[in-house]
Amino acid sequence: MSDDVVIIGTGIHPFGRFEKSYEDIGADAARAALKDAGVEWRQIQTAYLSRMYLPATSGPRVLRRLGGTDIPIMDIEAACASGGAALRQAMLAIKSGEVDLALVLGVEKMPRGFMDPAMIYSPWQIKMGMSLNPSYWSMRARRHMYEYGTTELQLAQVAYKNHKNSVHNPNAMYRREFSLEEIINSPLVCDPIRRLEICAPNDGAAALVLASRRMAERIGGNKPITIAACSHSIARYSADFRCPADSMSSTAANPGPTEVTSGEAYRRAGLGPKDIDCFEVQDTDAFCEIEIYEDIGLCPRGEGGRLVAEGRTEIGGEMPVNMSGGLISKGEPVGASHLGQVYELVSQLRGRSGLRQVEGAKVGLGHVLGAGGNCAVTILKS
Amino acid sequence: MTGQRIPVREGLLSQALDDLSGVTLIGSRCRNCGETALGASTLCQNCGGDELAVIPLAKEGTLWTYTVVRHKPPGDYRGPDPFVPYGLGLVELPEGIRVLSPLSCDVETLAIGQKLVFKPTILAGDKGDELVSFEFVPAEQREAPHER
Repeated sequence: MSDDVVIIGTGIHPFGRFEKSYEDIGADAARAALKDAGVEWRQIQTAYLSRMYLPATSGPRVLRRLGGTDIPIMDIEAACASGGAALRQAMLAIKSGEVDLALVLGVEKMPRGFMDPAMIYSPWQIKMGMSLNPSYWSMRARRHMYEYGTTELQLAQVAYKNHKNSVHNPNAMYRREFSLEEIINSPLVCDPIRRLEICAPNDGAAALVLASRRMAERIGGNKPITIAACSHSIARYSADFRCPADSMSSTAANPGPTEVTSGEAYRRAGLGPKDIDCFEVQDTDAFCEIEIYEDIGLCPRGEGGRLVAEGRTEIGGEMPVNMSGGLISKGEPVGASHLGQVYELVSQLRGRSGLRQVEGAKVGLGHVLGAGGNCAVTILKS
Repeated sequence: MTGQRIPVREGLLSQALDDLSGVTLIGSRCRNCGETALGASTLCQNCGGDELAVIPLAKEGTLWTYTVVRHKPPGDYRGPDPFVPYGLGLVELPEGIRVLSPLSCDVETLAIGQKLVFKPTILAGDKGDELVSFEFVPAEQREAPHER
């Protein structure tokens, strides 16, 4: 199709903790993506920077390091879905015909430990002890266990799989295989979720060079990866109990944000879950990944725990999820997390993922979900 | 009483705070779609309607889900010092709303479906003020206060 938008270059700065400014971390990823694309910075016609915890105008602050330019550069924030929101804006800019070449950069530098509650919660919620993100994830997990019989062992199996996958990912933070026993004996953070089953906020960046199909052909570098869909939405009324909610309706019955957003992405791509070869999804905690299996249509409601227990989402399984190690092992530099997923998926579709490679992967899906029910889903095709 | 009693959040509690025994949570019921929100509000988050009735919320509810917070929350948390792990859960009320609330009880006894009762509590405020907050406690705990 002539209005296709494609990815022609990707770059990453490893996710972890660094004695390095966010400007340097971001510039490294941007330069890597430009180099991979075979494009000069001065050829880029518009740039978007996704971040949540950085100051205003972080985009220009990072990208002016690459040389002065007068192109539009703007910051995009949509909580954990920030990278997806920025990617979507860049895709739409190219689809509109206004530009042919865009840079999307996600970057974050975050303090160790629980996130600053004042970013998300009201003062009264903080005073009352309702300001711990994992407590919300845990309440969802507890309800799922009650309704469907999901077990603590199954949660640990998600963390086991993702930590194990990360050993082969040089851009992940932990890169250490933990035994199931170590995971299930790690301290509870908020029952039933344990320390080795949640992601940590950290530093990192990932960048993409997007082009119109026409421009990609003119540049003639990497085999272009097509953005078959990039969707972003906010949860419908009371459809997602997630921070900073103080209550939820017991009468409304709206579908959740992952179901809605992935549904839209599948429809736009003309594909269904069975057409996807590999997935990178929001495992802020081990339970979240199980819930997402169900919401993106990998299995019927309530059967997500069984899917991981049977090994079907391992790299060698029929529907590999979080080949990169997921956020549980990479950490979650919020503004960069989705673009990090896309980096992994592009590497998979190019067949360059080494020991993490999903054999013959041609279609991949990335998913992020966070505060306020912000959700983004991107589907890529080689 | 050294300072004033002030609600932890405006528009959350039902009445003057000098006698806590009559205090309840309040909600806003939309006249258009019938959805109920926690606290006094002027716009319905479901349909955008602007005709909302303030209603008292029931004091008795059922535990819909819960967790136990094992680490002291960051920032301006006003719970016990030194920190004590506490229950936190969604309490389903008959008005069609589940309210997030601290749960004051032995955390090992928490169970989905258990009956709970609303209880106003006092947190340390600024400049000697008393912050009126709330929690839910097991129904039997209230009925038999001397057993524990």
